[in-house]
Amino acid sequence: MQEAIPYKSWQPLHTRAHFINNNTNIPQLVSSKALKAEGSENIMLNMVAENAVIVIARRGCCMSHVVKRLLLGLGVNPAVYEVDEKDEVGVVKELEMISNGKDGKVQFPAVFIGGRLFGGLDRVMATHISGELVPILKEAGALWL
Amino acid sequence: MNTTSAQFVTTRRIGVYEPIHQISTWGENFKSNSNLNTSSSLILEDTKLDNQSEDASHGTMAPSNQYDQEASKPADKVLRRLAQNREAARKSRLRKKAYVQQLETSRLKLIQLEQELERARHQGLYMAGGLDASHLGFPGTVNSGITAFEMEYGHWMEEQNKQIGDLRTALNAHISDVELRMLVENGLEHYTKFFRMKGSAASADVFYVMSGMWKTSAERFFSWIGGFRPSDLLKVLLPQLDPMTEQQLMEVYNLQQSCQQAEDALTQGMEKLTLTLAETVAAGRLVEDSYLPHVASAMDKLESLVGFVNQADHLRQEALQQMYRILTVRQAARGLLALGEYFQRLRALSSLWATRPREPA
Repeated sequence: MQEAIPYKSWQPLHTRAHFINNNTNIPQLVSSKALKAEGSENIMLNMVAENAVIVIARRGCCMSHVVKRLLLGLGVNPAVYEVDEKDEVGVVKELEMISNGKDGKVQFPAVFIGGRLFGGLDRVMATHISGELVPILKEAGALWL
Repeated sequence: MNTTSAQFVTTRRIGVYEPIHQISTWGENFKSNSNLNTSSSLILEDTKLDNQSEDASHGTMAPSNQYDQEASKPADKVLRRLAQNREAARKSRLRKKAYVQQLETSRLKLIQLEQELERARHQGLYMAGGLDASHLGFPGTVNSGITAFEMEYGHWMEEQNKQIGDLRTALNAHISDVELRMLVENGLEHYTKFFRMKGSAASADVFYVMSGMWKTSAERFFSWIGGFRPSDLLKVLLPQLDPMTEQQLMEVYNLQQSCQQAEDALTQGMEKLTLTLAETVAAGRLVEDSYLPHVASAMDKLESLVGFVNQADHLRQEALQQMYRILTVRQAARGLLALGEYFQRLRALSSLWATRPREPA
């Protein structure tokens, strides 16, 4: 099967939060400050809600690279939010609130599909192997074919 | 006298053994001869004859001892020879005793060494590459997880071979699907156990698991992140599962694709980790800076390696489960059997390779 053409990820309507594509490396400090100033909760919520697929991971984490590569290989262009070590705890709390405490503790890398917490690399792998991932991505509008 | 000695010789040559007669003959010789020289020359002659005849002649000397004592002038040489013989016999016995004792101690030492070797082999495979571990002074704690794994793996392999044999028998015996399902589920559970063991070993020493040292050489050759590559195995298994429905074929093909994609993603992640690790270790100025902070920060990166091994094992596990979902019970049984036999063949290849005839150095 040929590799699907990557679908461009949607740009946010407001520009408060910055997104990092796999190719560019926008300094995260700027958006961290922005987050702190604006009430990070909303920002996280918005990020999650506005992107069909978003991967939230620690900076420089190799596992997040794996998730990204896997999604890219499927034809998905996921948004990626990289978290600094110092912000980690805060971000985890916010994400847990977003997911309403479902599925227990949030672990990095965390994948959100269609605005909801999907899980970590484990779940992504398992659903990919069982063939369930692609339909879910299509349903969330992350994949078109 | 000459005739007497000639007689003596004759009787000996014929093999008639009459010690008393011979000795008395001797005695007569000595008595009748006042000239010592002559008698000694006679003895010499006798000695010569002695040497010419069979070794049994020695035996004849022993009984003669008693009779020698009767003779007033027993030949000093004879006495001396007897004494020497005694001495030689005694020394020989002593030597033999010493030799046997040496053998005993060597044997004990050998047993000890073999035991040590057995113990060391479990740790040795690990220690050979783990000299740095002993540097840090933690060989005890680090080794125990791996030693435990190696022992468990040995038991697991025995059980695995047994299960493969049972599967083979069961398939040939055409047992019911219900019973077959039990065998299949046992087999899958056994693999689950194996992955759990590997997980613990990876936490104990991820380099060890990555190196595949616990496997045979041919298995190690095909290793990918500490184990088999699911897509490769599926390619091997596919022809063994005929006949399959169209639906099944499509599903297996999709599974192969998914495995390939997942493997690629993991491989790329590993490449990134390798790069990052190299950069971390080489950070700063290699020549002038202290290595400590850089090596310490590299330690964190190494932790992620454990995650990779776990993810790879998770992938293998999921692929097995998915196959079980796709196939019928009978196909699944054949698949498990084929899988087991494939690995057995790889192991056979390893031993064949190890024992191949080589040109002498």
